[in-house]
Amino acid sequence: MIDRKVKLPRRTFLKTAGAASATAFAAPYLVPTSARAANEKLTFGHIGVGGMGGYHLRDIKSRMDRGEVNIAAVCDVDDKRLENASRMAGPQADVYRDYRYVLERDDIDAVVIATPDHLHALQTVHAAECGKHVYVEKPACCTVQEGKAMIEACNRAKIAVQVGSQGRSQPEAYLSHRYLANGNIGKVSRVDCWHYPTPSGGTNPDSDPPEELDWDLWLGPLRWRPFNRGYLHGVFRWMMESGGGQIRDRGAHVMSCAMWWMGADGTGPVTVEATGEAPKRGLWNSAVNMNVTYTFKNPDWVLTWNQPGNPVPPEERTGNEPGGAISRPGYGALYTGTDGTFHHWGGDGGTWAERKAREWKPGAGAKDVYESPGHKEDWFEGIKTGRKTIMNVEAGADVAILTVLGNLSFVLGRKLNWDHSKREIVGDEQARRLMDRPERYPYVI
Amino acid sequence: MNEQLTLEMLVEQIQSGDDNVRAAARDNAGQVGAAAVAPLAKIACDSDPEKFEIARAANRAMQNVVYHAGRPGASDEAKAVSAELIKLVSAEPPLQFRRDVMWMVWQIAGPEAVGPVAALLGNADLRDDARMCLEGLPAAEAVDALRAGLKAAPDDFKPAMAHSLRKRGVETPGVPDLRLVPTKQTSVTPVGR
Repeated sequence: MIDRKVKLPRRTFLKTAGAASATAFAAPYLVPTSARAANEKLTFGHIGVGGMGGYHLRDIKSRMDRGEVNIAAVCDVDDKRLENASRMAGPQADVYRDYRYVLERDDIDAVVIATPDHLHALQTVHAAECGKHVYVEKPACCTVQEGKAMIEACNRAKIAVQVGSQGRSQPEAYLSHRYLANGNIGKVSRVDCWHYPTPSGGTNPDSDPPEELDWDLWLGPLRWRPFNRGYLHGVFRWMMESGGGQIRDRGAHVMSCAMWWMGADGTGPVTVEATGEAPKRGLWNSAVNMNVTYTFKNPDWVLTWNQPGNPVPPEERTGNEPGGAISRPGYGALYTGTDGTFHHWGGDGGTWAERKAREWKPGAGAKDVYESPGHKEDWFEGIKTGRKTIMNVEAGADVAILTVLGNLSFVLGRKLNWDHSKREIVGDEQARRLMDRPERYPYVI
Repeated sequence: MNEQLTLEMLVEQIQSGDDNVRAAARDNAGQVGAAAVAPLAKIACDSDPEKFEIARAANRAMQNVVYHAGRPGASDEAKAVSAELIKLVSAEPPLQFRRDVMWMVWQIAGPEAVGPVAALLGNADLRDDARMCLEGLPAAEAVDALRAGLKAAPDDFKPAMAHSLRKRGVETPGVPDLRLVPTKQTSVTPVGR
């Protein structure tokens, strides 16, 4: 029988003094206690090694090749992907289908979770209960309750969490943030995000799962249904239950930048109202086009998510800018202030700022903002020093909850009222039920 | 869609071969309310592979009825829709469809759903869906049913029942918690070892 209490880290470098600060980014919430924090290599396990998981594994492997870290395990529910990952990670890494084997290993300090969205919260909570530090792909959670459970479990375990909205750590994200924080467009009252539509599709009938796939483990907490290729690798994000469309996939980037640059981490909207259009046929059911309006109070501002919205053509560039050439112009945001406007494009691994922010030179007395050394490096700092990460569990969950609320308002066809102090919908009994969803056993938080 | 959708129009349009017509009917099904549930269920259970998209549209139209009837200030509509769904839980339509219905039930129903859903805790194919449904139903009667279900459950199902009770704030000492117990082995061996 598993003790539901947190299994604190076996090694001593994360002793439990210090409490989480809900809002102060710079305040340490983990306390480094041993020389190991600075001098010993971290040992990683990788859970989910296709897609972005493959990218993360290559990244950590390159660090291992430089003698900086160890990789002890790779894990995937797809044997083909697992075999490829084993080849990439090297023979020292053990291979697993079931992520819980990774979590029970005492020699693994941290896990990188890059599974489909519906597994993020479950595996993060379980990792926290086993005392592992976590890098988890975005969006952090699929329901409000999952987000709250992540925050509670990770803070209780005093682990360092980095949610993979890596746009915050891009060089031009720093320049954008600094430009806006210094009032160059005045008081910002409106952020309008745009993104191209979510695809329609998934028209194949149900079938038997491929031999290499453990469909039960892939479904995890989702209620049982027959296998369909339309659920699987890459396209899971077009299903509401396992993804939720562009607002979730890229909203977790573009709106993450907005919350960071607006100084709005730790806050939430008071109302959320969405309209949109579902696909006309096929399995995928996330909104093709949609408009969501989030209204914030004290301070008052409005955030909107628009598919397709009003895309702004990218500026010409030489490619020598801090963020290089703009390779993904199909999404971004327009910031409107009392004294002007500001655009950025992308928001994920590519975040590109309008020229005026790149070229702005801070004068004497200008305000500086945090400049991430890199998304993984920022996480490592969080692990080793106890400093809060740039996309910590509260920030990651809150951005994901924005996207959840947008989709919920869309499917319900009505405006939602939100109390961020409790992270709860108010005044709508059905919507309150839908803040959570029952999970299939034993894949439960 | 400007015209008020009637039940007859919904049933006709949801079976249209035109994606635009069918999708509009699906998206506006909520305004027809509880009367739409049984006819939509019949269409959703049609196993003709040529009508696969129609069946899917009918299923999703039912979900839209549930969402619409669950809006604030429409408790009578919610009760009416719940009553229609409960009839389907207890009927014998296809297994996966009954799972889908139970997923809708916890989103809208009250204590009236507890008995019919709890009766499925003894059904090996549907017991976990019934458990999830009871877990999601806010009624106190659902907790009582979970308690009774735990007592009656075979050993392999007790941990799941206990989990639902814990979610509802009821401690269940002595029942194993299997959440973190790994079980699935891979046939892959480390490459190069």
